[in-house]
Amino acid sequence: MSCNERPDEFATRREKLRGLSDEELHARFWELANSLVEPLIAEARTHTTASIERSVLLRMGFSSQEAHALAAQMAERSLLGHGAGRLVLELAKSKGISVAAAGAALLEGSHWEALP
Amino acid sequence: MKLSPDRKLDIGEVLADLEHYRPRRKGWTWRKRVEDQAIGPFIYRDTAENLERSIPLPAAHHFGDIDPQSDCVITTEIASGRFEDDLRRMRMVAWQGADHIMVIRTTGQSHIDGLIEGTPEGVGGIPITRKQIRATRKALDAIEDEVGRPINFHSYVSGMAGPEMAVLFAEEGVNGAHQDPQYNVLYRNINMHRSFVDAAEAKRILGEGGILQLDGAHNANATAKQAWKVRPELLVQHAINTAYSLAVGMPSGHIALSTVPPTAPPAPKLRLDLPYAVALRDLFGAFRFRAQQNTRYMESDTLETSVTHVLDTLISRLTSADIQSTITPDEGRNIPWHYNNVAGVNTARQTLMGVDGLMDMVELKEDGPLREQAREIKERAVLFLEEMLEQGGYYAAVAAGQFVDSGNFPERAGDGIARDPDGGNGAGTVIPRETGYGAPVCSHFGDNVYTRGEAKPCTDLGGCTLCDPAKIRYIDELDQEDNVHRRLEASRGGDVDTALRPEVERQGDGIVCVTLFVPADPGTAESAALEMAYHMGLKEPEVISRRVMHPAEGSVFEIKGVLDMAIDTSLLPQLESERLLPEQEIEDWVRAHGLVVVAATLGEDEHSMGLHEILDIKHGGIEKYGFTCHALGTSVSPEALLDEAERTNACAILVSTIVTHSDVHRQNMRRLHELAEARGLRGRLLLVAGGTQISDETARECRMDAGFGRGATGWEVASFLVRNLRGKGE
Repeated sequence: MSCNERPDEFATRREKLRGLSDEELHARFWELANSLVEPLIAEARTHTTASIERSVLLRMGFSSQEAHALAAQMAERSLLGHGAGRLVLELAKSKGISVAAAGAALLEGSHWEALP
Repeated sequence: MKLSPDRKLDIGEVLADLEHYRPRRKGWTWRKRVEDQAIGPFIYRDTAENLERSIPLPAAHHFGDIDPQSDCVITTEIASGRFEDDLRRMRMVAWQGADHIMVIRTTGQSHIDGLIEGTPEGVGGIPITRKQIRATRKALDAIEDEVGRPINFHSYVSGMAGPEMAVLFAEEGVNGAHQDPQYNVLYRNINMHRSFVDAAEAKRILGEGGILQLDGAHNANATAKQAWKVRPELLVQHAINTAYSLAVGMPSGHIALSTVPPTAPPAPKLRLDLPYAVALRDLFGAFRFRAQQNTRYMESDTLETSVTHVLDTLISRLTSADIQSTITPDEGRNIPWHYNNVAGVNTARQTLMGVDGLMDMVELKEDGPLREQAREIKERAVLFLEEMLEQGGYYAAVAAGQFVDSGNFPERAGDGIARDPDGGNGAGTVIPRETGYGAPVCSHFGDNVYTRGEAKPCTDLGGCTLCDPAKIRYIDELDQEDNVHRRLEASRGGDVDTALRPEVERQGDGIVCVTLFVPADPGTAESAALEMAYHMGLKEPEVISRRVMHPAEGSVFEIKGVLDMAIDTSLLPQLESERLLPEQEIEDWVRAHGLVVVAATLGEDEHSMGLHEILDIKHGGIEKYGFTCHALGTSVSPEALLDEAERTNACAILVSTIVTHSDVHRQNMRRLHELAEARGLRGRLLLVAGGTQISDETARECRMDAGFGRGATGWEVASFLVRNLRGKGE
């Protein structure tokens, strides 16, 4: 038996569950499941990824190719933590240009110094 | 775009002006259940609205060609690799009752960190792109108009680009999607932090887009060495994805569990699978169920697979299913052939109609082994969840190899799939959000400075693509060689409409399948079978199924091969095949007119079997349509037949005759005609001859109105009589 092997200990392990009604068992099942996903959700709420940022840029009207290039260049400059969409939108506001123009300018290598 | 049932789908029309195509609706559509629905001679308990056009089950013609539709959605999975072939397949399955079309992605798309554009060819599926989705959705719009029911289009939001794929689906009107980060982690070795962070965003987009989400737990069943032992884990996997989806904000009605009965005969299937199905529904009653059919124990025998799938579908009805998914019966031996998509759909359709109303008559016992085993599976799942928490949570449990272990938890076999939380594809790509992080778009999950009160997060932007589709950017093709237009040009060179080739997977692939029994030991028989296929002219013959009937007496083989030739349709003989009148139409007309026929074997002929098969109700003869038949027996003269026809005011005389060397049979038929004419009866009497060696041509030469040879049926004769008598009446 390898260290990860284990015989079926169900008969002894189940003892503590025997007294639970079906409803109580179901409640226990969901309570445990919710506890397990809690830290996963917390991480998702406070983190992002290149794919999430590209998906934001897509929703802002950039093509998949533009979104890919913008997110990659922001990642190289360690800027993605601010949100790719926010960077482009706030640049557009500060320069008084459209969001599309702001994205195009960044892709041409302009205005990177204006980003945080 | 409008389809006509007698014309093929025009791919060129589908591809035209896709840049401006918008989906007509978004989100999932369920069938509309009809209580106590009268269809043909029956009242149905578990059906939905009928289709406007469909191809009923083969036996339906006995019941007035009815085609009742189950109240659950029926799924088929399509994976030819070319979407232009997929579309034709979708049209065929829609006519057979499928309304959930899952398009499988090409091998490797999970690992592409971004979206693909255009229409490159795939392997084992298609690259899912905006253009392919638009073309498919546009074709499905036309197909659903043709059959008269909405069709749900479905694909996958997994891999490295889940959030982008989810946006694409929400923008383009995809109706259902698989989304389960556990699939990435366990089967694609994509980093677990990346998978779960991406999944939250993807799920928010799917949920707000009304897209039905299916989870991925069924893959554990398909992967496990002993599938019945992962039943506790399956509950755990469903719970993780479901709890995560709810925490992201997905409505419970859009969360569907993808569940498979784990075993197949000769395992005691229902004894193992039914308690599991009950346990699952006990715990997940608030959610939807997509019942899949078993793939884990599929072999190459399509009949064996179909029987397993019938039992799977029975379990759906004994418990519940909102979607009955189907698996093609040939999936165990090759990439599914299109007519096997139809076969899989029909297995579900036939079974669901066969068990209509079952639960009005039977119920699952509330005590005994069913409930005891269901309870045991649930307790094992609770113990599994407890141990995960003790191990330090989900990531630690995966790292410890808890999942897809072939032990029945808490038993462990030590063969689970272990993944490193800091390893896998995309490791180290999760980035903390800075203070002030923002995403000025809708359907975004997590901390966001643009989420302020009631206003949409895209207000500052002036609207995102989910609110204003005009902002969506469409890319047509990026690869000028690998695209649908090039493929169509290549196939048009062969002129697919006038040079016909057989096919099973792709347009004109030439593949055929032959069944051969060879009376020898298995080895000799297989070699001989391949030789025989070769001599039939099949290229690349390959045995795709073999079954020993007896070690010495012989084996049966299915062999596929390529028939490398095309039939020029302009050279085909014009067949004068007349469609038979519907049986009910025949009967209505016969009974309304009180029709009488006189019949006998003519001349010196003592054979009467064939005639009885045409006349007798128990042989499916014309009596069943209401004809009054006066059978005068054998060796009857033309004079006697006409006397009886006159006496009974018959509309037709049916004579049976054998072919004689001296052509007496011809003389007898001519004499019958001449005498009828002499008596002034020919105008109102139809004269019909039959016999194993009689042809229509011979009979007409002898002045009969028709002749029916070997294999003729009462339906054919009745259809002929009614069509001609109606003609006389008019």
